[in-house]
Amino acid sequence: MLKISGLSVSYGGLHALEDVSLEVAEGEFVTIVGPNGAGKTTLMKAVSGSIRGATGRLEFRGRDMTSLPAHQRAALGIAHVPEGRRIFSSLTVLENLELGSYRRAARAKRAEGLEAVLALFPVLRERRQQLAGSLSGGEQQMVALGRGLMAQPDLLLLDEPSQGLGPRVVEQTFETIDRIRKSRRLTILLVEQRVVEALELCDRGYVLETGRVALEGAHDALLADPRVQRAYLGV
Amino acid sequence: MVASELTQYVVTGLLVGGVYALMSIGLALIFGVMRVVNFAQGDFMMLGMYLTYYYAVVLGIDPLVGALVTIPPFFVIGLLVHRVFLARVTGGGDPNREMDAQLILTLGMSLIITNATTMILSPMPRAIRTTYATRAFAVGPLLLNQARTYAFFMALLLAAAVYVFLTRTDLGKALRAAADDPEAASYQAINVRAMHGVAFGVGIALVAAAGGLLATYYPIEPNVAVNFIVLMFVAVVLGGLGSIPGAFVGGLAIGLVQSLTLLVLPLQLQNVGVFVAFLLVLYVRPQGLFGRRARTV
Amino acid sequence: MASRSREWLAIAAVVAVGLVLSFAVTERYHHRVLTLVFLWATMGLAWNIISGYAGQISFGHQAFFGIGAYVTVLLAAKLKITPWLGMLGGVGVAVLAAVLIGTPTFRLAGIYFGLATLAYPLIFRIVMDYLGYQEVAIPMMREQPGLFMQFSEPRYFDLLALGILAATLVLSRIIETSRLGYSLRAIKENEQAAEAMGVDSFRCKMIAYMLSAAPAAVAGAVYAHAILFVVTPEAVFGVLVIVQTLTVCLVGGAGTLWGPIIGAAIMIPVSEILDTTVGDRLPGIQGVVYGAALMAVMMYAPEGLYWRVRSMILARTRRSVGAARPAPTAAEVHATTPAVPAGARSVLMDVRGISKSFLGLQALSDVSFDVREGEILGIIGPNGAGKTTLFNVLNGFLLAEHGEVHWLGKSITGLQPHVICRLGIGRTFQVMRLFPHLTVLENVMVGAFAHGASPDRARVSSLAALDLVGLADRADVVPTGLTTLELRLMELARCLATRPRLILLDEPLAGLSTDGVELMALMIRRARAAGVTVAIIEHTIHALVRLADRLVVLDQGRRLAEGLPGEVTRTPAVIEAYLGTRWLARHGAPQHAEDLRP
Repeated sequence: MLKISGLSVSYGGLHALEDVSLEVAEGEFVTIVGPNGAGKTTLMKAVSGSIRGATGRLEFRGRDMTSLPAHQRAALGIAHVPEGRRIFSSLTVLENLELGSYRRAARAKRAEGLEAVLALFPVLRERRQQLAGSLSGGEQQMVALGRGLMAQPDLLLLDEPSQGLGPRVVEQTFETIDRIRKSRRLTILLVEQRVVEALELCDRGYVLETGRVALEGAHDALLADPRVQRAYLGV
Repeated sequence: MVASELTQYVVTGLLVGGVYALMSIGLALIFGVMRVVNFAQGDFMMLGMYLTYYYAVVLGIDPLVGALVTIPPFFVIGLLVHRVFLARVTGGGDPNREMDAQLILTLGMSLIITNATTMILSPMPRAIRTTYATRAFAVGPLLLNQARTYAFFMALLLAAAVYVFLTRTDLGKALRAAADDPEAASYQAINVRAMHGVAFGVGIALVAAAGGLLATYYPIEPNVAVNFIVLMFVAVVLGGLGSIPGAFVGGLAIGLVQSLTLLVLPLQLQNVGVFVAFLLVLYVRPQGLFGRRARTV
Repeated sequence: MASRSREWLAIAAVVAVGLVLSFAVTERYHHRVLTLVFLWATMGLAWNIISGYAGQISFGHQAFFGIGAYVTVLLAAKLKITPWLGMLGGVGVAVLAAVLIGTPTFRLAGIYFGLATLAYPLIFRIVMDYLGYQEVAIPMMREQPGLFMQFSEPRYFDLLALGILAATLVLSRIIETSRLGYSLRAIKENEQAAEAMGVDSFRCKMIAYMLSAAPAAVAGAVYAHAILFVVTPEAVFGVLVIVQTLTVCLVGGAGTLWGPIIGAAIMIPVSEILDTTVGDRLPGIQGVVYGAALMAVMMYAPEGLYWRVRSMILARTRRSVGAARPAPTAAEVHATTPAVPAGARSVLMDVRGISKSFLGLQALSDVSFDVREGEILGIIGPNGAGKTTLFNVLNGFLLAEHGEVHWLGKSITGLQPHVICRLGIGRTFQVMRLFPHLTVLENVMVGAFAHGASPDRARVSSLAALDLVGLADRADVVPTGLTTLELRLMELARCLATRPRLILLDEPLAGLSTDGVELMALMIRRARAAGVTVAIIEHTIHALVRLADRLVVLDQGRRLAEGLPGEVTRTPAVIEAYLGTRWLARHGAPQHAEDLRP
């Protein structure tokens, strides 16, 4: 479904990504792990289209996406749940979720989509008229995930969902992602710092290190590979 | 000072403030979504006054209705102006420079609009004659000028319509999302650039309508903008740059300030009260009543 | 240096051209245009001092223009004081006004500053109207016209205006080449970085504001006598004054002497000619011209004509600069760590119990460690660990809620960044802030001024710093053509030019290629060899593991471990912080480095 070939991104001379190639097949769950500064978020943004100046090729469902701006990629069915959640804090929970289904293909299914999301996150049903900015970190995470699901996406991009959350909430988040994966037929690309949790959930993984793909493999192979540690700590 | 006299000042201030509020909402919407301070806001208002005058004198449409009818053409004008001019100004990629450059661009627009209007139409002030401009309602001991009262209620109606638009329609919510977090908005398939155009169009349309309402009791001439642009700025800053309910409250407040200043200062110095209030807000609480925390150095 | 005297020659040439024009022109009307060109160029230069160099865009400069006009004319009309003296009074009042307006207003950032400055001339206009000064006519002094600045020969007005322009050019040039000028430009590009390099930004802005008020007041006084004859609030405090000032500066280019001159030379004659020829049939043509000019400039050349033409010329004549790499000396290649064992080094900085929270999030929690003389200390940790926040506290940008920082035995907790810089602590930033219109050498000189050096001494120590990092051959180049590595080296040189004892480097290796990392590491070692202690924040632990003598590991705001690189990266708590508890549980901590080889 998603094919990245030879992606390189530099910001004014800074090489964030160099010649990265990876693939996500339909229905697969792929994880990208690696330390900070490895370029994981840059990679996500290159896929969803919010950075310019990327060279290389990006194909979605066989179609070249490289020249499309972010909002058009989202309209195609790619839902990006960004790093730090980035929910609309001055809008209510309900409005946030409704905006998730802004793209035409999802608008028709708004009502049923909403029911499904509220069933997944019952807490949000109570809080639906509350301003999203007033919610706790974990609840905001639910809004962000819910907003992504409301787009009825074909490809779900999750950028460091555990960031800035307490341990219990992180556990719940990963459980939720697992549940989402099992209940809907979604293709998921997850970027995470927490190695084990991320690798356990996925089918296949890639390890990024200073802008390049250092390792790749099936999730259990990577989990057992001590070289992953070197990517993080240098020794 | 008799209580009823004070109340008269307060009521007059509020009536005038209603129209200020409508003008300011347009400015706040543009700033909220685009982060641009539109110096030309007063000039578009002036054009709205002239269009309403045309409707009244040539087509015989009552200005209160005429004000509403300025909305569609000015929305289109706003979209075009954004597309042709504002969207082209990027200041070289740096967002701060972009804001400065767009601000100067709107200043240039303001100059062209005011001066071109002076060139094409004569600078002689015109007025729309209506039956209600000179009459007043008597409510107890208070006298409410009819034109101002009608204008006030129309302004409230339009403000309410804007509220419904922003909170009940998909497009309105998308505008608010683009104002809140443009990057995240683009992830929801919202075309943020197009939202800028819509915000500008709506902002211009609202201020043109406010001009139409103003024209029921205020003389129409090309230089009218300069009297109101600062009032609008003050209202928006008082309410909190980018906050629409804030701009509404700010507009009402400025109307009050202007009116109550007359209790202490002569008519000539009326606006000094407004400007001093402006400085006080900037120094003491730059984020205004409803705005987010502003950076101080 | 050659380019410096070249600038003075150019100024002399401009003044000479002005003189020639003044004498060549005969018609009264043309003299008027010439006078206006000189006056508006002066006003533009005045605005440029605060808004072009320092970047504080003022929409209220007409306040000083009007003060100059009114004070001079009123002194002449009421007290029969000659305007040649009255001007001084005007300048005095204007400078006082600048202090009063600037003191509360410089605290405001960005657009708020501009909006606040807008209010003052509006207030002055209304007040002058109210006080009955709607029309103050300059009294005709037939007996001593010269004494009262009333020349029958219009040429004298041009010459007067030219004289003021010349004086303002000289003032601007002096500012440009002085320490104040470098500080102002640093403030414009990045106020925080400037403070970190020892610039007292409030004081600099205030001085600039005062210096910009003076020529504006003089211009206003001359304008009243040469053009107006009757002073009205609208004419001197009104919108058209600031519009003409802005147009002249923005069309020509802000931040340089030449911009306002170019802008005035183009815009004023055009608008005046249009006004006289079609002004009756088309009233307001001037406003349209200025508006159109502003719009056109913003859309097609937002930096102004001077900079646009200059960069076009530079682009054509740019020498192809190869990626010259400074080569390590043989001694450096074989260098080992200095003989002084870690424990024997004295403590330079002692960080005790620092805690800091933002919006309920605990960014730093009871962090303590020390920095020892001559070492390279690495500070690492996963994302969100608080590393940059820590530097911001050490540097003075943030105030810790608890804890203290001691430098050479004395507390520096709560001191301002520029004071901390002058005490010997330098800093680089994650996002490089260069001053794009200054050369590499001039960029570095901003740092050198921290120790109160004269421009010459600053130049010398800057060249030395550039030499150390191997960029000496790039000294006269503008930074836009440099690679990331070279920019980082320049930033390092700028930091070193403040002659620090300790430098705090924030991610200097990020995004560099392997070669680049090696080179940067080499330069850092060179700096240490030159006597500078180094503390580095990094993500790319690999290079740091070989570069640093000791590591401090932060996680979620707490100090997790401290020690030699080899030990720290094998510490279970550190592995857990980076890879998670469950990874640690699966793999355990390696006993030997060999365990990790494939």
